[in-house]
Amino acid sequence: MKNNWERNLIIVTIIGLVVGSWGMYQRLAYGHLGMNYGSFVPWGLWVAFDLFFLGLTAGAFLITILTYVFRIKLLANLGPLAAFTVLVTLMSELLIISLDLGHPWRVYRFLITPNPGSMLFWLVVFIISMWIIYVPWLYFLIREQLIAWGNDGARAGHKVYRFLAWGKTAYTPQDRQQDHRRTRFLSYISLPIGVIFFGAHGAIFAILHNRPLWNSAMLPLIFIMAALLSGGALITFLAYLYQPDDELIHPLGHVVLLILLSFLFLEALQIFVGYQSKITGIVTSLDLIIIGPYWWAFWIVHVLIGSLVPAFLLIRYPENSKMVALACFLIIITFLAVRLNYLIPDLAVYKLQGLQNTFFHQRLRPEYTPNLNEWLVAVWVISLGLLAFLLGTRWLPVIQAGRGEEEHV
Amino acid sequence: MGRDLPQEDPLVRMQRDLKRALQKKPEDIKWGMVIDIAKCIGCHACTIACVAENKLPPGVVYRVVLEEETGHYPQVRRRFVPRPCLHCQNPPCVKACPVTATWKTEQGAVIIDYNKCIGCRYCLVACPYAARTADFGEWYTAETAELHGKLYGQKAAANGYEAHPATEYGKKWPERGHGSPVGNARKCHFCLHRLKVGMLPACTTSCIGRATIFGDRTDPHSLVYEMIGSPRVYVLKEELGTRPSVYYLK
Repeated sequence: MKNNWERNLIIVTIIGLVVGSWGMYQRLAYGHLGMNYGSFVPWGLWVAFDLFFLGLTAGAFLITILTYVFRIKLLANLGPLAAFTVLVTLMSELLIISLDLGHPWRVYRFLITPNPGSMLFWLVVFIISMWIIYVPWLYFLIREQLIAWGNDGARAGHKVYRFLAWGKTAYTPQDRQQDHRRTRFLSYISLPIGVIFFGAHGAIFAILHNRPLWNSAMLPLIFIMAALLSGGALITFLAYLYQPDDELIHPLGHVVLLILLSFLFLEALQIFVGYQSKITGIVTSLDLIIIGPYWWAFWIVHVLIGSLVPAFLLIRYPENSKMVALACFLIIITFLAVRLNYLIPDLAVYKLQGLQNTFFHQRLRPEYTPNLNEWLVAVWVISLGLLAFLLGTRWLPVIQAGRGEEEHV
Repeated sequence: MGRDLPQEDPLVRMQRDLKRALQKKPEDIKWGMVIDIAKCIGCHACTIACVAENKLPPGVVYRVVLEEETGHYPQVRRRFVPRPCLHCQNPPCVKACPVTATWKTEQGAVIIDYNKCIGCRYCLVACPYAARTADFGEWYTAETAELHGKLYGQKAAANGYEAHPATEYGKKWPERGHGSPVGNARKCHFCLHRLKVGMLPACTTSCIGRATIFGDRTDPHSLVYEMIGSPRVYVLKEELGTRPSVYYLK
């Protein structure tokens, strides 16, 4: 049964790669010519997806908090899966944001001519930090299993596992203890780095004093909650698929509900304060979200399908793993609307009086709707990420290694 | 009798000011601009001159003329506010750039190194004046029919003008479509390539109302210095603390 849906999903991802390759061709052959964003709305669908992917990495962060701060040791079993998910989502993020750059091959500039005064530079530093933390973290979590698989001559590709285990054939109690120590150390580091990392997403926008909707100390906090919500929902959903244990799913469901309600409260607060401020720039941007042409993305996709229905399911059926997973699935698939609603409305308001009457060109308009090319590129990247995830869970011991008595993440 | 004596054209004085400024040490010069909106008639000549001078492609514009309408019919008023890059002394775009591809020169102009810019467009988002635009690689001749021959058709038309970028920043840039500035953020640079050879910026010389005054704002004898001292002077969005080097006269 499980193999069936996995196989079907792999086929879907391959179809996604084929279909999306048209968008990739357009992007690689003609640059940004075929895309709809412009100079007034310079960031579009791909940046929204970038934020979406970065948020999904918060699953591992949440598991670490629950294990070490709230001492829910059972959740430590999800460590390898959570770490692997982080790496796949980071890879997807890296890919889509590279495609958004005008000169992606110049990213080495971050190293040779960095600007420590730029929040974007610090975001890159923290993305690199996430790689530095989660690659060895995953490795030390699955090393024992890699060695075991490497020793299993009957297993297909056992030589590859032997290679990944650096040729090691025995895993001693000392090795286990050492790996526990290492993973615990990396977990502790991941806590402050994670808070800053997820806060830095919000800070990129919040520090811009010319953007009234974003320019608030609350935005980094909202971004942290948004990341925890989407990342927590993702890891709960994956736990249901790969390690369907009620004792794992139910506490995660409670946590997701708590984060969902907190997030909605912060969001409501932001909208309330924004409207009450009566600042034109803020009110106009909020109007775009609430009653603008994409009102349905807020009310139907985000509020109804992505918030109220999941909240109802999580409150009404807290002990039903299937319902918890369904609620989490709804949160994940609708979360792009949240990201788009944070990104676009502030950009889509003229910041100078009279600018609308000056220079007529499609790149100099505040209206933005992602076009087919942009969606196809996003489909390609998502398909690649999903394929990497499915193959990874099949070929790497990220599921098995979590089943046991490890007390670390 | 009774008639005013002919006045010196401000352009002549600005040219003289410029000549004097260029004799100073570069670090002692601080370029500045004053735009007298009472004199601006909204002809957009400065926009066109800038586009022509820098061979700006479609969708890229350094200097627009904002058209503001105030009041209600029949008490309506209209005014024009040319808006180049304001070359802020505290520029938010410079702080935003993650790879130091944009910076403020010692003469106060905010410029971009096209070869460093990664095209993240964060500076566009950070600029309070929407003074930066991204070059998405568009061509005026994209819709021109392709015909054979050296004089007609898309290729010939492109070769005659836009295939060869202007020498912005005094550098020769590759043929359009083969690297920067396509994919970059772009902005007004006070026509540094013209200043270098003793010419005023294109927007200044093309202004038929002499509404744009340019010069060294630290030179007490310059026209721009004199204008900055006017009681009519103001800057756009002063509350943001960006301290523009482009001033306006009410």
